[in-house]
Amino acid sequence: MQRFRFNGLLLAAVLLIPVLPAQAQEMDHSMHMHHGHDMSAGDSLAWRMAPMDGMTMPMMPEMMDDVPDTGAFLPGFGMDVSMLPEARPSEIIDMANGDTLRMDASMVRRTINGREYVMMAYGGMYPGPLIRADRGAKVVVEFTNNIEMPTTVHWHGLRLDNAFDGIPGLTQDPVETGETFTYELKFPDTGMYWYHPHMREDVQQDLGLYGNMLVDPTEEDYYAPVNREVPLILDDLLVDANGLFPYGEEAPTHALMGRFGNVMMVNGITDYSLDIEAGEVVRFYLTNVANTRTFNVNFGGARIKVIADDVSKLEREQFVSSVIIAPAERYIVDVYFDDEGTYEITNAVQAIDHFRGTFVPETHQLGTISASGSASADHADAFAEARTNEDTIADIDGFRRYFDKAPDHNLRLTIETKDLHPMTMRMMEVDTLYFPPIEWNEGMPMMNWLSTGDEAKWTLLDEDTGKKSMEINWQWEVGDVVKIRVFNDPASFHPMNHPFHVHGQRFVVTHIDGVPNRNMGWKDTVIIPVGSTIDILVDVTNPGKWMAHCHIAEHLHAGMMLGFEVRDPSMPNAGR
Amino acid sequence: MSPPIRFDRLVHAMRFLLPRIGFLLILAIAVMALPARDVDSAASEADTACAEGVSPDYYEIELVTTRKVSGARLAKGVGEVTYVQSPFGISLSEDGSYLVNIDVSMSNVKLADGKQLVAWVTTPQLDEISSLGALDENLQVSGQTDFNKFLLVITLEPAGEEPGTMWTGPVVSRGMSRSGLMHTMAGHGPFETEPCAVYGY
Repeated sequence: MQRFRFNGLLLAAVLLIPVLPAQAQEMDHSMHMHHGHDMSAGDSLAWRMAPMDGMTMPMMPEMMDDVPDTGAFLPGFGMDVSMLPEARPSEIIDMANGDTLRMDASMVRRTINGREYVMMAYGGMYPGPLIRADRGAKVVVEFTNNIEMPTTVHWHGLRLDNAFDGIPGLTQDPVETGETFTYELKFPDTGMYWYHPHMREDVQQDLGLYGNMLVDPTEEDYYAPVNREVPLILDDLLVDANGLFPYGEEAPTHALMGRFGNVMMVNGITDYSLDIEAGEVVRFYLTNVANTRTFNVNFGGARIKVIADDVSKLEREQFVSSVIIAPAERYIVDVYFDDEGTYEITNAVQAIDHFRGTFVPETHQLGTISASGSASADHADAFAEARTNEDTIADIDGFRRYFDKAPDHNLRLTIETKDLHPMTMRMMEVDTLYFPPIEWNEGMPMMNWLSTGDEAKWTLLDEDTGKKSMEINWQWEVGDVVKIRVFNDPASFHPMNHPFHVHGQRFVVTHIDGVPNRNMGWKDTVIIPVGSTIDILVDVTNPGKWMAHCHIAEHLHAGMMLGFEVRDPSMPNAGR
Repeated sequence: MSPPIRFDRLVHAMRFLLPRIGFLLILAIAVMALPARDVDSAASEADTACAEGVSPDYYEIELVTTRKVSGARLAKGVGEVTYVQSPFGISLSEDGSYLVNIDVSMSNVKLADGKQLVAWVTTPQLDEISSLGALDENLQVSGQTDFNKFLLVITLEPAGEEPGTMWTGPVVSRGMSRSGLMHTMAGHGPFETEPCAVYGY
C-alpha cells in the first residue's frame, strides 16, 4: 500500500497565513502598544488589556504592560463602515438535487448592541443562508471569496467527497480574495450540519462566517410531529469599550483556553426572541459555533427532549433538564411550552473564580420565547412519548460486535509549552490542585490572551507510535471499523476540555470513562472532558485524505490536529 | 539411624531466631491479612479496562480512615466518580453543577454485629448532607450528587435502619472531591500581600 506523505508543514503554514488588508499591513506597529495597555484607546486596533468581565482576581503588576507576541489585527480596520452593506438576517435556501447556489464571503456592517462593527458574512447574511435539502441530494455551491483574507469552506459533518472538504493544503488551495471555488455537496445523512472557514477560524468564523445545512428526512414519520422548527446558532463575541477586541496578526491569541466572548448571541443577535402559541412543541436545531465556549442551554423550565445527535437520531429519545453543547456539536431537541408566558433561553453554568477558589453560578441571557394564545395543533401526547428509534438501533447494530475491541489507536491530549510568560508559568504551577472537566468561563483572561501557538503547542500524542499531531497519518481502508481511545491527560501543563472532530466519517461514542454508552447516535464531534477517556468507533466509509482535530479554533491553530488517509481498495488511485 | 541432635547448633539457632520472632510473626500476620481480592483485582485489572464504573483517576476520591472506630482503624476506601449518563457525555443539573455517580467501596473493615456503614456526601460547610445509602455486604454502595465541592463521609450506623438526614454514628473514613482542593489563593503564593480581608478571607 502506497503511503502518502502528509505535508503538515505546508498545511500549518497555510492555516497560519493571514493576508492582511493593505491598510493594516501598512499601519504603524507602534499602535500595538508594546509599552503598556492604553486603557482609553480610541483606536480599536490598539492592544489594550483583555476584558476582565466578572473577574475578582487582581491584576499582577508583572503582567500589566504585556501584550501577546503578535501584532493586533482586525479585518477591515480603517474601512468606512458606512460604506459596507448592512448584513441581513439569514434566509432559508431550499435546494433540490442538482441545484447550484452562488454564495460569497464578504465584509459587512453589523450593528450589535447599538454599535456598528465591520464583520463578515456568507451571502451577506447573519448567519449565512440555511441550505435545506433532502437526504440523498447533491448540490453545488459556487463560492467566491470577497473578504480580505484567503479562506476555504468546510462543510462540517457531511460525508462528502474529499476534494470538497475545504482543507487548505490538503484538499484544496486557499481561495484567495476574488477567487471562486466550486464545492459539490452531498447529504447522505439526515440532520443539521454547518459550514465555516477552515483558515483562521478564530477570526473569520468569529466574525460571522458560519451557516447551517438542514438535511430533511425522506422517510415518513422520521421525527415526531411538532408545531414549528427553529434553528438556533449559539455564539459569543469578545468586545470592549473600544469595539471588537483585536485578534492576533501572525497567530491567534488566547491559545491556552481559546477566545471566550463576553457578548452572547443567538442567530447572530443579542436579543433573540420568538413568538409562539402556548401548547406548542418547538423543534430546535442547536449548533454551537463559538470559538471555545461550551453552553448549557435551558428553555426557562420548559420540558426538553433530545431527539438527535450530530449525524443521526439517538437510539432513544431522552428527556433532559438542559442541553450541553460543545463547539461544533449539534443537537436536535423538542421543547414543550405548555403554558402562556415568557420563557428565557439561558446558558446556566458554574463558572470558576480561581482567585477565591470557588464555583460561581453564572447565567447568560440568550433569548426570549413568548407563548400566548393556544396552539392550533396539539402535539403534547407525541411529545410525552420518548420514542425508541429502531432505525438508528438497526444502523448501529452492525457495529456492536466491535464495541469492546482493543483500541486501534490510543490518543493522548496534552500540551507542550515554550517561553510562556514567566508569570503565567508561575501562576499555573501554583494553581494546579483542580482542573474542572469543562472550562465554562474565561477564568484567566490575561494569561490566556497573552498566549499564542508559539508558546502553547496543543498536542495529539499517538501513544502507540510516539508521533505527535501532524506527524500522525493513520492509514485506514473503506470498510474498516476503527476504535480510537482518546485520553485527556489531567497531568498536562494546562488540561482543558477539547471537542474532538473527525472529518468525512461518522462515529459513535462507545464508552465514557469505561462506562458503556447506553444511548448512542452518530456523531462527528465529541467533547473530551479533562481526565476522561472516551472510546469512539469510526465507521470508515469515505476515501481520501482527512484530518481530525480539536474544534477550539485557537487549539487547532496551536497544533491540535492530525491526518489520516482512507484508501478504497476498489479504487487504488482514489484520494491520491 | 537418625543423626544425633547437636544441642549447640539448636541453641545457636534459637539465639538467632528469638530476637526476630516478633518481626517474623508480624510479617506472617500481614501476609495472611492481605485481602484476597487485592490479588484478584491486580490479576484482572487488564480484563476490566472497559468495565463499568472505571473512574477517571483524576476525580477519584480516596477515603482516609479516622482510626477511631474499632474494626475500621485500617479501613481503606475509594469513591469512584463518573458522569451520570446523558446524551451529552457529561451530565449537569439545571444550574450547571456536575451531576455525578459515586461508587463507594471499602475494605479492611470488620463490622461489629448490629452495625452497618453508611455513605454520605456533604458540602465543605456541612450545611447540606445527603445519604448515598448503606454499604452492602461487599462494602459497596452507589449514589449521585450535584454538589460542586463535597466531602464523602463513611459512618458507622445501627444495622437495618434507613439513613436519616444526618449521620448519628462515628465517622469511619472521609475523603474530599477533587474540586474541594480548589481554595482561595489569597494569603499565599503570588498573592501573599493581598489584603485578604477585603476579599473576605
